[in-house]
Amino acid sequence: MNPLASRPGRVVAACLVQLALVPLAVSGPLSARLTGEEYLLEVAPLDPIDPFRGAYVALDYPGLPSSQELTERRDPTGEVAYVPLEAAGDVWVGRTPVAERPSSGPFLKCEDEQWRLRCGIDSWFLPQEEAYAMEHAVGQGGAVARVRIDSRGNAALVGVELRDDT
Amino acid sequence: MPPAAPAAQTDDMTQDLETGARRVDAGRLAWLESELVSWHAAGVVDDRQAQAIRGRYVAVRRFSLARLLLLLGGGFVGVGLLWLVASNLDELPPLLRFLAVTALWLGFVATAELLTKRRARLVVGALRLMASLAFGAVVFQAAQSLQVPAYEPGLVGVWGLGALLYAYAVAGVAPLLVGVTTTTVWFVWTVFDTAEDGMGFVLPVLLAAVVAGAVSVVHAARVRPAFAAPWRDTSALMALLGLFVAAFPYVDAEGFIWSVPLSLGVLGALTAVATAVVLAPRARPEALVPLSTVVAGVLLVLWEPPEPVLGAVSGEGYAHAFVSVAVYVVAAGWYAVLGVLRDSSRLTYLATAALVLFTTVQSFAVFAPIVTGATLFLVLGVIFLGSGLLFDRGRRHLTANLGGATA
Repeated sequence: MNPLASRPGRVVAACLVQLALVPLAVSGPLSARLTGEEYLLEVAPLDPIDPFRGAYVALDYPGLPSSQELTERRDPTGEVAYVPLEAAGDVWVGRTPVAERPSSGPFLKCEDEQWRLRCGIDSWFLPQEEAYAMEHAVGQGGAVARVRIDSRGNAALVGVELRDDT
Repeated sequence: MPPAAPAAQTDDMTQDLETGARRVDAGRLAWLESELVSWHAAGVVDDRQAQAIRGRYVAVRRFSLARLLLLLGGGFVGVGLLWLVASNLDELPPLLRFLAVTALWLGFVATAELLTKRRARLVVGALRLMASLAFGAVVFQAAQSLQVPAYEPGLVGVWGLGALLYAYAVAGVAPLLVGVTTTTVWFVWTVFDTAEDGMGFVLPVLLAAVVAGAVSVVHAARVRPAFAAPWRDTSALMALLGLFVAAFPYVDAEGFIWSVPLSLGVLGALTAVATAVVLAPRARPEALVPLSTVVAGVLLVLWEPPEPVLGAVSGEGYAHAFVSVAVYVVAAGWYAVLGVLRDSSRLTYLATAALVLFTTVQSFAVFAPIVTGATLFLVLGVIFLGSGLLFDRGRRHLTANLGGATA
């Protein structure tokens, strides 16, 4: 008997496919969270005047390069760029971005938007009251982002913390 | 005078109260009742026959208050759910938030299915609308729980694909509207994201019109005719929007970049048209006209008239404006005629409103530099009257010819 012959069967099948689509939509950060290793990156608010839009903060990473530093762009539409990471004290910083996927070492896989690199770690959602407190703290400097990165460069932001020395 | 039954006003929710009665528009039933009086007076039918005929039908208001309230309520709940996700469900941890939103979505789906057996079609429609919107909330909540930025077109694409799947599984028009809207937004956003210029907007919008038009043709001719209207309306809206933007003189292709999604869009559009032409050869014009709007839109964007010098519009500038108006009048006229042929007053109104808006904008853009004040309004009035007359004559002519051809 074909389960898709009846409407309830079709509805169940549609819901199952929809449920399967959800992890597909967030496969990169999901993989990073499940299989990645943790790195600390220095973080700053993207807009020091009004960094919070609603209940999330738009973050900037002073230690990561900009899109302008990407050389030998193979695809004029941009698409993907890779940022190799290297340790600088207790945090990690990015080296010059490249179009080819690095063969080793931790690296971030980013979307090259010609004017900026988006690595999927630029928003931090949190409750409104906490957002105001963090806005002030991050604006003072010395905050770090705890990021999980998998072997393919997918990244997931798992925390924003204030460093002890601030 | 036959003792005709009172003109019962009901809707889909109460259809089981009138077992066996056919549901017809209230206006049509009123006409039948007046005819019954006339037939009875002429002795064509007696009281018993008149009652029997009248009893076979029950009036349905297409836009009943119940339908309006249920659809508005469903829309508000669905949008509220999305908003709730957007503003963060502060009190719950991320995983619990995701599970709560998923449970709500599945609850809407299951309740809709349970009520389907009771034939409460309006309530079911509202629940399906909420379910399709709630699936969007599930996708965005999953993204938010993983700290994924919300402004990703891919999230809208997954939402749209899921809504379309659900719409086709339950044969529901409300989820179809959500699915068509979100997938269209996803496609246009994805292409425009890569090529942020005029062509990067006009081309995906017009390609969406082609695909939607072809799908509507196949639905009307082959399977689920009720799905044809939403696809057809989307096709018309996208075609008229694309041509509207393409007609502006400074919409160009300077930053245009040919991307993979755009190539897939062209391939998909051509495949959809070919499929529609093969499956529904009698509706070939309906499938091919949106394709011609792509050609017209692209040519208008590529045609760059020189910029005005000291406010003076060049001859080429006027030519561009007049060709744009001509193209738009023909396209709007086509969709108005299509509305007549497909018994869709909504489509005819859409085409007429689009033409009025377009003519107004173009008139101000072209004539405002040389005529001002009262003269501008006089010129605008003359243009409206002229284009209205031409539009009406063209519509009548095309309706007569196409009506005869498709009869």
